[in-house]
Amino acid sequence: MMRVQAPYTNLFRMQTFSMQSLRAGLVLVACLAVLICASVQPAGAAPNRVVADLSDDLVEINSSYHGTELLLFGAYRGMPGDDLILEVRGPSTDLLQRRKEQKAGIWINVETFRWLGVPSFYHVFSTRPLAEIAPLQTLTESGVGAASLGLRLAKSKGGGGSHHNGGDDSPVSRASASTDEQNAGLVRNMTGLGLWATRTGSVKTQQDMLYRTALSLPSNVPPGSYVVRVLHFRDGVAISESKTDMKIRKAGLSALIYRFAHDYSLFYGLFAIAFAVASGWLAAAAFRRN
Amino acid sequence: MYIYLPIAEVSMHIGVIIGLGGGVGFLSGLFGVGGGFLMTPLLIFFGIPPAVAVSTEANQIVASSVSGVLAHMRRGNVDFKMGGILMAGGVVGSSLGVVLFKFLQSIGQIDLVIQMSYVVFLGIIGALMLTESLRTIIRSRKSGGVRRKLHQHNWFHGLPLKMRFRRSKLYISAIPPLVIGALVGVLAAIMGVGGGFIMVPAMIYLLGMPTAVVVGTSLFQIIFVTANVTLLQSIQTQTVDFMLAGLLLLGAVIGAQFGSRFGARLRGEQLRGLLALVVLAVCVKIMFDLALRPEDLLSVELLR
Repeated sequence: MMRVQAPYTNLFRMQTFSMQSLRAGLVLVACLAVLICASVQPAGAAPNRVVADLSDDLVEINSSYHGTELLLFGAYRGMPGDDLILEVRGPSTDLLQRRKEQKAGIWINVETFRWLGVPSFYHVFSTRPLAEIAPLQTLTESGVGAASLGLRLAKSKGGGGSHHNGGDDSPVSRASASTDEQNAGLVRNMTGLGLWATRTGSVKTQQDMLYRTALSLPSNVPPGSYVVRVLHFRDGVAISESKTDMKIRKAGLSALIYRFAHDYSLFYGLFAIAFAVASGWLAAAAFRRN
Repeated sequence: MYIYLPIAEVSMHIGVIIGLGGGVGFLSGLFGVGGGFLMTPLLIFFGIPPAVAVSTEANQIVASSVSGVLAHMRRGNVDFKMGGILMAGGVVGSSLGVVLFKFLQSIGQIDLVIQMSYVVFLGIIGALMLTESLRTIIRSRKSGGVRRKLHQHNWFHGLPLKMRFRRSKLYISAIPPLVIGALVGVLAAIMGVGGGFIMVPAMIYLLGMPTAVVVGTSLFQIIFVTANVTLLQSIQTQTVDFMLAGLLLLGAVIGAQFGSRFGARLRGEQLRGLLALVVLAVCVKIMFDLALRPEDLLSVELLR
């Protein structure tokens, strides 16, 4: 068994190796192309341009998906001391935040808050800690950091009922409704799920011209449209910005099963039952002869 | 090798899934129980969303009950008439259970209700089984033993709608089995179990059915109750993960064979005593989860 498998493993390794070098080559070519384009343009037309790209702008979640890593890279016209902030933002969603309290000896959810339009995925990368790059207000104005996500809270009273009256409550501004405890809890919970992250010092630059960083997508990454944004900071001011898109979608068998379950749920249920009955029958028959 | 579960929307190691199926299958083969009461908490523990764990486990129990009931049918140990009445109650009860599940989910209390049901029912059943098997072991050491009556007569033997159940040698009202079927159906839908561990004692002690037919009849009605849960959850919440159920099943089928072979070497009351300990262990574990202060008092749930 081992002897048969060994060459295949090697082959697989070689293939992945060549894929990686191919990818690295592509990245290099793309960076060069970006650089040439940037340098060809007259100096006055676009004085401070930053360009962003991804090693893959379409991520497919198939049956063997277990998280993946992408290369975020690009070019900028920098000077020593400049900073870069990259952010990757997933589709917005509403989410429920619940608070537990001890009642009669057990911990139960006593309060539910509904957050509106929260990014389901939000990873920030930077050359230095955000606070050293620019003042909080500047960052917020540029739309960077958890404080700038425009989070709004619609509170539904009591232990529950969020599903029923959450939609009727008018959304109120974050400042007036959510407490520091709620904000901190949201960041903590989302970070714990691997959906939010701040990685300072993770952006590597080369000669104030090229930059790159690695984006890890967790296995529970929400599918949808993603936006990658790069901001170029000099002396605490954002001088240039660029955006690019990325798509994450289910593919292959897992997409097929998901679509079947959602679009033809009655048939999916009947199929699941038929499959269970058939395999139960088969199992009994197979082991009866033994 | 990891596999991405399309409905649960998480990836799990394929060895963990098949291992879980095999381990729980071994215990279910050993003790002759469905194993849902072990599998559903384990799936939740491994990060499967509770709603997906409950619905998927229902789907898997359909398969294990079918393969279990065939052996009992060959030996004529299924009372189809009694099974039909229990099933009628069970289908109504489990439909109510699915609706109740969705409601509890929407108010954020489903985890609590699942955990509380486990603590209460596993606690009661485990304690009853343990005392019963200990008493049997002690009595067998004293030798002799008292001959019991075929079954006791309770107040509900006086209820109307009397029916004759030949296979169970009973002439009782159809109302108690209907009500028992319905109540167990509600629990099955909420707890993600077949409900055999409640149904079997209820059949013996409340209905007075002979021990030989209870397991087969219980399995027979569980097929329909769990199939109903599978169908309703598929339509209402789309939480049946076909891929997860299939892989669990693969492990469970193999595990159950080893379990039943191993179980043949142990005596009935010893087996029941061991099962009681397993049941009580699960109960205590969940009780601790409820009573200990959680790491984070706040939690989030993404709405899709």
